[in-house]
Amino acid sequence: MSDSAATQSSSSAPAASLLTSRRLWLVVAAIVIGLLPAIFTDSYWRTNLIVCAINVLLAIGLDFVLGYAGQLNLGQSAFYGIGAYASTLLITKLGIPFWIAFAAGVLIAGIAGVFLSMFAVRLRGHYLAIASLGFAVITYQVLLNWISLTQGPLGIYGIAPPPPLAVPGLPPVEFSNLANLFYLTAAFAFLVYLLLDQLVRSPIGETLTAIREDEVSAASLGVNGQKWKVFAFAVSSAIGGAAGCFYASFVGTLVPDAFFMTESFSILAMVIVGGMGTLIGPVLGAILLTVLPELLRGIGDLRLIVYGISVTLVVLFMPGGLVQAARLIAGRLRRPAKMESRS
Amino acid sequence: MTGGGEILLHAEGLHKSFGGVQAVRDISLAIPAGTVFAVIGPNGAGKSTLLNLLSGIYQPDAGRLTFAGVDVVGMTSHRRVRHGIARTFQKIRLFKQLTVLENVLAGFHIRHEIPLWQYVLHGPAFRRDRERCRHEAMDLLAFVGLNQRAHITAGSLSYGEQRMLEIARALAAAPRLLMIDEPAAGLNAAEVNALLERIVALRARGITVVMVEHNMDLVMQIADRILVMDYGQYLFEGAPADVQAHPGVIAAYLGAEVR
Amino acid sequence: MLTVILQQGINGIVVGSLYVLVALGLTLIYGVLVQINFAHADIVTIGAFVAYFVTHWLSGNYLLGIAAALVVGSALGWLINAAVFAPLRDRGNELLPLIATIGVSIMLQNAMLVLLGPIPYAFSTPYSNQVIHFGGAFLTVQNALIIIVSVLTIALLYAFMKFTFLGKALRAVSQDRETAGLMGINQNHVIMLTFVIASALAGMGGAMLGPVLVLTPFAGTSVIVKAFAIVIIGGFGNVEGTIIAGLIVGLIESYTTQFLDPGWIDIVVFALLLLTLAVRPTGLIAERREENV
Repeated sequence: MSDSAATQSSSSAPAASLLTSRRLWLVVAAIVIGLLPAIFTDSYWRTNLIVCAINVLLAIGLDFVLGYAGQLNLGQSAFYGIGAYASTLLITKLGIPFWIAFAAGVLIAGIAGVFLSMFAVRLRGHYLAIASLGFAVITYQVLLNWISLTQGPLGIYGIAPPPPLAVPGLPPVEFSNLANLFYLTAAFAFLVYLLLDQLVRSPIGETLTAIREDEVSAASLGVNGQKWKVFAFAVSSAIGGAAGCFYASFVGTLVPDAFFMTESFSILAMVIVGGMGTLIGPVLGAILLTVLPELLRGIGDLRLIVYGISVTLVVLFMPGGLVQAARLIAGRLRRPAKMESRS
Repeated sequence: MTGGGEILLHAEGLHKSFGGVQAVRDISLAIPAGTVFAVIGPNGAGKSTLLNLLSGIYQPDAGRLTFAGVDVVGMTSHRRVRHGIARTFQKIRLFKQLTVLENVLAGFHIRHEIPLWQYVLHGPAFRRDRERCRHEAMDLLAFVGLNQRAHITAGSLSYGEQRMLEIARALAAAPRLLMIDEPAAGLNAAEVNALLERIVALRARGITVVMVEHNMDLVMQIADRILVMDYGQYLFEGAPADVQAHPGVIAAYLGAEVR
Repeated sequence: MLTVILQQGINGIVVGSLYVLVALGLTLIYGVLVQINFAHADIVTIGAFVAYFVTHWLSGNYLLGIAAALVVGSALGWLINAAVFAPLRDRGNELLPLIATIGVSIMLQNAMLVLLGPIPYAFSTPYSNQVIHFGGAFLTVQNALIIIVSVLTIALLYAFMKFTFLGKALRAVSQDRETAGLMGINQNHVIMLTFVIASALAGMGGAMLGPVLVLTPFAGTSVIVKAFAIVIIGGFGNVEGTIIAGLIVGLIESYTTQFLDPGWIDIVVFALLLLTLAVRPTGLIAERREENV
């Protein structure tokens, strides 16, 4: 086995450098998050920053089930809505403290995800896609029509931001301040990113990709595909629920239209454009598709047309999205350098 | 002849039909541990269906099936893997987008020793497990001669290499019984020889092999016992020499292929 | 009361038969390709708008409008297959085409929104106001036309599938693509033909739904979402199941509107869909197909 030992030691060296570079990138990302509110000082851009953080959450949540487990969840808008309405109603109707309501909202959305996926995981991916789309439609209609609970199309107004955070020795951190609210959502998104990153780099990542590639084959290795698909779906929908809780406390107003199924498509667009099956891709996709339309405001109501065109073109010509494009460019840049060093 | 050990896999009166067509009719077999058991027969004889019944992809309409004394009828294929049954597929089903090494690593699914919390916070047990799986995976790749190809995608391997990788991946589950469905299909002579050697090596390690195969040379050389099927039914079972001598087998099958 | 039930039954069958036309297209494509064309929804919408413009602006002839929608629909189907499904066929990923056509759908809807605006168009045909009475119930000539055209179309499609070579080829491909290929059937032609037929049905369905629906750029989406429910309830790829499930959903819609509230339609339909998935995952009417291993 001297052969394999040699291969292994040679492969562990780049793996180690990759690890340090990964840590380096995470530190860079944390610093960037810290600096952003200092760069963007007006409330318009700070609002956009918070929207970015929420969209990042939604996108990495969807990517976990789509990019890794290979199951299309078109119900992300519903889990988003369930998280938003559940936490808000618990706070406003029952007077439950914010963070407990937040946990409950996440849990309820996750349970809804388990409930839905249990119906459809026995079948091909298409069934899950349609069942989840159906779930998005049902949820929207319930939010719209259960007026005694949700106030229907009139909406719920005056939702308070998260309560101030008491830090010993410092003045309390107020989340009515947009910069602080951004730090809160971004920190949460960052934590969720780390959590998912740990999961996909564990054997769970191997198991989910095996299911994505070939479920029958995965079963021949002892993988219970149904169980793992339900798991991935639950994680995805719970993250969607968390995004909803933040959305409600940030916007202060809930109307069912914010959770129409087209919202699912927007989240899908972020994942696809960024690059599904990687975690950094959906982050980039979410940021790009949130910021780009703001920059293009001059040309009118073309936001969704841009989303639609980019999804189609990316699937057809660059299925790995921005990440694949970046790798291609990096490869091009590296190759000529190598040639030079050789000559 | 290595037979005579404990019976690892025992089937009695297995039946399976699809929409009125009887694919497998009243098949019984007893496979001793540590032997190579081959199933042969013309196309459409029900060999693959039998394999699918044994591995749990299909459930029998009637009949009994025990593995190492455990009744496995009604048990899903992924549960059977935990009892020690692994398999490959007639139509290769690798994870083509993943690398060769990743394919084998996925095969360790049932063998991880990681406390749940370490999936989230990778600790020492997690790193030990990863190191062990990587090491074993490279050993398995070396066993099938693919250790130099560990980091390319499985889809870019040659056909013969893909077949060997599928065997390595199945072995990652540390099975007691390995079922291989037409492993020599599409292989050149040198590759068939390498395959033969590997199967003999597996038997030497104590792994029981069930093999559906058309390549008579290969079957006659390594099988301890051979089951001949025709039209879903039992035709004959015996040692290679008996099979070659049996007039019914020659008429149904060998006469047409070995000339 | 009995009259109300009868009247709503008629309305349900009218709407249901249009859902059948739309859902049949989805199911035909799924049968041949095991793929979903999400932009099917927008072919319905575009069919409705084509019929509207031909009827109101160009000719005043509604039947000509239906014909135009049929032609435009089949052209769009051809285009979507050639531009999206054909290039993705060898990728071997069952979700990519669905995702790509979701992109096409978002693009088409919002392009229509820019061009046509969000305000519903009032689509009235010469037949909307002519009424046939029988018993206490009534049927507008428009609705009678819808039923006649739907039944004729479905009968024609059935005859085509059963008796013509192309129809048999189509069924052969949907049963076993590899064997059909070995038998000399050109898959690409069959798939193209399926898209053209399916999309012609959608365009025509849209033309007839136009006067019934709230005609906006998003009209097709509400139809397609029900059509998805129909194909799952009826069993994906199953023509008879789709017809029965389509009529059931049409009836659910009209009775829910009458006895509960229109807001409940989608909830009831999708509750039925989830129930179907729980009880008989391959559809209430379909046969189970074993996967070839």
